[in-house]
This record gives sequence, C-alpha cells and structure tokens, in this order.
Amino acid sequence: MTIKFTDRGITRRRLLQGAAIAGIAAAAGPKYSLAAGGSVLRVRSYADIQNLDPAHRTGQPDGDVMNCIFASLAVYKAGDTWSWQPFAAKSIKQLDPTHVAFELHPGIMYSDGFGEMTADDAKFSFERMIDPKTKSEYVDDWAQLDHVEVKDKYSGVIVLKQAFAPLWNSTLPTDSAIILPQKAIEAAGGKFDTKPPCTSGPYRIKSWEPKTKLVLERNPDWKLTKPDFDEIHVMPIEDEKTAELGFEGGELDYTWTSVSSIPRYLKNPPAGAKFVRKPSLAYVWMGINQDFPQFKDIRVRQAIQYAVDRKAVVEAAYLGAAETSTGLIAPGLPGHRTKGLISHDVAKAKKLLKEAGLENGFTCTLAILNKAERLAAAQVVQANLAEVGITVQIEPHDSGTFWSLGSEKAGSSWKTLQLIIDRFSMEPDPSWATAWFTPEQIGVWNWERFNSKEFGDLHKKGLTELDPAKRATMYVKMQNLMEESGDYVFLTHEATGVLYSNKIVPALRPDGIPLLSRFKKA
Amino acid sequence: MLTYAVKRLGLALAVVGAVIAVVFVMIYVIPGDPAAVALGPRASPALVAELRQRMGLDRPLPIQIVRFYGSVLSGHLGNDILSNESVLTIILGLMPHTLRLILGAMSWSILLGIPLGCLSAMRPGSIFDRITAVLSVSVIAVPAFVIAIYALLIFSIGLHWFPAIGAGEDPMDELYHLVLPSLAIGLGWVGYIARMLRASILDVQGENHVRTARAFGLSERKIVFDYVLRIAILPTLTVLGIGIGQMLSSAVFAEIVFARPGIGKLVYDAIITRNYPIVTGTVLVTTAFFVLVNLIADLFIAWLDPRVRYSLQR
Repeated sequence: MTIKFTDRGITRRRLLQGAAIAGIAAAAGPKYSLAAGGSVLRVRSYADIQNLDPAHRTGQPDGDVMNCIFASLAVYKAGDTWSWQPFAAKSIKQLDPTHVAFELHPGIMYSDGFGEMTADDAKFSFERMIDPKTKSEYVDDWAQLDHVEVKDKYSGVIVLKQAFAPLWNSTLPTDSAIILPQKAIEAAGGKFDTKPPCTSGPYRIKSWEPKTKLVLERNPDWKLTKPDFDEIHVMPIEDEKTAELGFEGGELDYTWTSVSSIPRYLKNPPAGAKFVRKPSLAYVWMGINQDFPQFKDIRVRQAIQYAVDRKAVVEAAYLGAAETSTGLIAPGLPGHRTKGLISHDVAKAKKLLKEAGLENGFTCTLAILNKAERLAAAQVVQANLAEVGITVQIEPHDSGTFWSLGSEKAGSSWKTLQLIIDRFSMEPDPSWATAWFTPEQIGVWNWERFNSKEFGDLHKKGLTELDPAKRATMYVKMQNLMEESGDYVFLTHEATGVLYSNKIVPALRPDGIPLLSRFKKA
Repeated sequence: MLTYAVKRLGLALAVVGAVIAVVFVMIYVIPGDPAAVALGPRASPALVAELRQRMGLDRPLPIQIVRFYGSVLSGHLGNDILSNESVLTIILGLMPHTLRLILGAMSWSILLGIPLGCLSAMRPGSIFDRITAVLSVSVIAVPAFVIAIYALLIFSIGLHWFPAIGAGEDPMDELYHLVLPSLAIGLGWVGYIARMLRASILDVQGENHVRTARAFGLSERKIVFDYVLRIAILPTLTVLGIGIGQMLSSAVFAEIVFARPGIGKLVYDAIITRNYPIVTGTVLVTTAFFVLVNLIADLFIAWLDPRVRYSLQR
C-alpha cells in the first residue's frame, strides 16, 4: 500500500531517493585529476600567493613561487652561510662602487611568445622598480639606482647614484632583481597580480585554485640547470601544527614547523623524515613607548629593561628551541653584537624606580599577538615586573588589530600603547633591521617612538658604506643607541624548524627559507 | 501556498540585507587597516592612504554600505584586497568544498541518526535505547573541533587509515578526504537527530492512524517505517535546515584542522587579515545560502505535510 501525499504523482519516497542520488552525485562531482606518474614535490606554504609582480609582492609565499617561475639576475646559495650565485646572469661584476656589469645567459625564453630575455628587459625591470608611476613597495631595494646602460643584447651595466651596500645582500639575489619583458608588463596594464603575463623560470604555473593549491610544472623551454621534480604542489596551510600533522600523515614532503615543536622533532623526528633547525633572521623584542606619560622618564624604562629576565622569557616561550638575542641583527650578519648592554638585575631595577619616584609601582599594559609563545613570554614578563612592583595587564590581539596598534594612520591606539612584544622578519642585510626604527618611522613602524637623530644618520651612512668592518661598527653602535634609550628589551631571533621527507634533499637558505626549484630527489 | 512562498522570500531578502548591514557595522568598529595589510610593511604611508581611498574606506559608513548594496545588485562583490581576484570567483571556487563537507556531515547524521532514533523508539527503555541515549548526549556535548582533532590524531596520524589534510584530487580521493572532516561535523548531529526522532516517533505512535494500523495487525516494523516515520521525520527536516548554519560554523574548525579549502576557512582568514571584501562577500553568500535552505525546508514541509498546507489555505 502506498499512501500518496500529493496529487502531483511524485511520492515522498521517490523524492527522497532522488535527493539522495543527487546529493551523492554532487559530493562526488568531477573536478580534475592529476596526471599519473611523474615526480611530485608537495610543500606547505604558510599562505596562498597574493601578488607575483616583483614590484608589488607581499611576502614569502609569493617569493617561493616567483623563484620558480621567474629568472632573477642572481639567487641566494643554498647552505649555512650567506652568499649568492648568478642565475639569469652568466656573470656579474662590481666595476667600481657605482657600476655593476652583468651578462645574461643567452636562450632564456619567456612564455606566451614574448621572446628571449635581453639586457633591455633588465633595464626595463630594474628602472621600473624606481619609477614613481610603478609605486613599488620595494623601491628602497633599488634606492641608489640611477639607470641601467645596455651594452649589447645580453650585457649591461647597472649605474648607481652612489655606493649601495645592500645591493649584493638584499637586492640582486632577491625578487627585486627579477627580469621581465616590457611588452608583457605593458600588455598587462603596467602591473599584474596572481596571473603573470609570462614566465621565464625553471617552472611554470600549471593550475591554481585560490586558497587550495598551486601546481607548478617543469618549464620545457628552460635551458639552464634542469629541476629534479616534474611538478611542485604548493599547499597554503596557515596553521603550523596542522602542517606538522599533515606531514606526519604523509601528505607533505616539506614543511616549516612551529618553534614550539622544534625540541620534540629534534629529539624524535617522524619515521622517514629528517628535521633541521635553522637560525632565523627574525628578531623579537619588547618595546616601551617612550612617549606614553608613564614611560617618559628614562629611569622607568631602564628599570623595566633590568627587571626582565630575558633568558627566562625565551625559555618559557620557546621551550629551549631558541636562544636569547643581543640585538636586532642575527649572528652571521655584519653588525651582530656579541653582547648586549643590559643584564637582568632586580635590585638595580628597584633602585631606578625609586629614583623615579615610583617605588610603590604602577600598572601598565603589554600588547601581544595572540600566539602561544607570545603569551608565554608575556606571562614571564608579567611575573618579572611584578617583582619590582609593576603590575602588567596582558592584552592579546588578533593579527589584524595588532599590526595597526602603533600606526598613527590607523587610529588613536598608538597614544595608549605602552609595552609591546613584537617580531619583525628581515633579509640578510643589517639595514633591513634598522630601517624601521629611524625618526621618519615614528608612528609608522617605530612604535616605541624611539627618536634618535644619530641613529637615523648612521642608518643612512650604513647604506653607502662598503667597508664591511666599518659598516659592522655602525650597526653595533645603532643597536647600542636603541638599548641605551631604554626603549628596547631584545629577546630572541627565534629559530626555524624544517621537516622534510628523507626522499628529498631540500635546498634551503641559511635561515631555512626554501629554494623550491633547487630541491632534489634523495 | 504561492502567497506564503512570496512572503517567505521577502522575509529572506530582508534578513540578508539586515545581516550585511550588521556585518558592515561590526567590521567598521573593529581596529585594523586592510590597506596596510594588503600592501605589507614596506609600503609608504602615502601608498596606504591611496589604497584606502581607492577601496572607499575613507568614506562614511552609510555610503560604504549603500555602495556595497549597489555592487551586489549589479552582481559584483568586489575584489580580494590581497590577490585582487574577484571575491565572487573565489567564493564560487571554494563553496563546492564546503557544500560537500556539509552534505557529508548531513549524510552521516541522517544515515546514522535516523536508524538509531527509530530503533530506540521501537524499544524504549531497552539497553540499546539507554546506550544510544548516553552516546547521543555525549557526542552532542563534544564540540566539533575536539572530535576533528582526535579523529585526525587517531585515524590519520596513528592508524594512517584516512588522509590528514587537503581535499583530494579526483572524485574518489575527494570522498576519501571527506570522511573524517564530515564525521567530525556530523557526529554531534547524529546524536541530536537520534534523540529528536525517537521523541517524535513516540509522540506519533500514540496517534489514531497508528492505533488503527496496529488494529489491522500490521507488523511493528511496517508501522514505524511506513506510517510513523513519515510524520515523525518532519520536525527533523526543519532542524536540519536550521542545522546548516551550525554546520557552516563547525566547518570553519574542520577546514582549519584538516587544512581543507572552503569558505569557512576563507572567512576566518579574511577576518584576521581585515580583508573586508572577502568578509562581506562570504557573509552575504553564506547568509543567502542559509536563508535559502530554510526557505526550501519550510516550503518543502508545507508541500509534504497536508496539515501545514491546509492551515495555509485557511
């Protein structure tokens, strides 16, 4: 017996059966299939690509892909010490402090019919970076570029207005020295985002599903060193712990790990995997807003510097995976300080507070990014400062809020900002570390509002000083000035944990950043 | 019936419009500068200011809302401030992943919840009923992200039975990747549906037509599945319609834990980075989807249940 609930001739049973079949069909709906066979490298990136234009790139995830699909004049060497090697260039040579000659490899072809890479393209690409119309965020990488002289089809000379020390450290081996054809850029309307008008590197983009996966495939027209893998699958996974689990589940061949996982993986890497710890260039510090009324007296700021037990802070936050730092500039770079000026001294902190008339203590806030290690660090700071009578209220913020706290353009929170634990990353030139703390950066990225003309002048001089020893002295002095201001407590450079399958041999920069096109099969 | 459908549709549009206005106000008051995020730390203040102007962020809030409504009506949800991709394209690209996830979760909840509810109702007070009651309450009480993490640790990392991350490459692989995340979301609903259906069946079993069927000597199984369940399942359909919203929010956790692409993770990342076009676009689409599903559920019930239909006709 069938009870009809409608007069339309469709029973509910039939309707539900149809819905179920439609549901299963939708769930298993066709998408795409990966070609069978071939060698595939599966890597995790901490974010999806956002902008592959060398003039407007936004971060490392872009850089990882750009290194694969474009040819720059030079690239960083893989290994444990910072150095570079020519890439699109057959040779590069500094003729004098303001002239750099280069010769390109012949036969580097652009995709999409844009022909062969020439010195004219290099001239266009480098001069485009400083063209005000380009509005490049990376204009400072070529701050001293005057023009590029083209000698012949493959040769040219980079002419600088004055000597520029970062050129060899953080300009020529980076994405700022990528060479693109003028016709392609113009055809794209002067700039592009995630869809390059052409490519020229060892790989090319096969497919991209935003926020899902980017597939690179070997460029058949690439004539220089052939890459090992047929395809590279780049998966954007923001959460490091998820990436670690994905690796342990066999879904990835390479990933960065969280700093807190470093001790565990050092002791016991997953089966079939290798783990390395690389020193990071990043720097973490606690800043003190010197313009906040409570901290206008330098003795109060110095008291905080002496009260914080940096070793305990770093130990609590990174569980033994990272060392305390001596300043902004990491070991291995010119200007690294072997020792800081301030040591943990509670008695001295109390004495300074007494001299400032604050022996009964006071209350202040400590702003942090809501990450586990920052919270742990903040809690130790809170305990340290409680010892000298300062009550600290920890204020965790999500990244969207945090990164606007000290910006004068983003509201008024910079006025009430007091203590802050912050972290910046950098390229392997000391000027990258000091650039953010000049007087011009007050209210932009200089949130401590550290105001030293001497520091600003030294930063400018450091950019043009080519003598490594003299340059190192300048940067040591700059970090001394920062610490003497009472505005900074330098905490750590962190560390980078790299987990990879023993079936591959990764090519890594000294700071652990991957050079994907140079990864090899074991 | 048509009047009812038109009224419900009007209400649905009003809800979507109101939600967008609320979201705009919320993102307006929270601190954070999307222009600074988009351009990165090396951008000069002048460049940031220029982008803010281009994005219309320097305009008063009411004007921003009106402009957004205008662009929605013209079928444009704006561009991602980071990649400059069309927001609609991004959402449409990711929506199928989330729909599959929710469909999978609903499948778990229906395939397990309905039989458990029926069997419990057929033997109320039995050991099976009691065990089902305890398990149902337990899985209802455990948040989806806890189930997701333990499922991942046990079945992916420990036993290597299922993949840990991603969404798969081909249809079968996608189904394989769907098992754990959909189970994590759907498990709570298994318990919920089982308990609700049990109560509903016991309620319907006392009605006259069921008593008549018993008097005719029909088997208990036939009575439950052919006469009781057809009526008792209607409230479950309503709840499943509302449950879509709950599943969408649970999908955020499942997509993060299993590193799956989807609109849940998309909106989470967008909020963190103050990617306002993505936030407003995604909220608009998910709200419209949620309202649409509930509208369909209501119309479906009105169509299926003669009592509702007759009440509307009156």
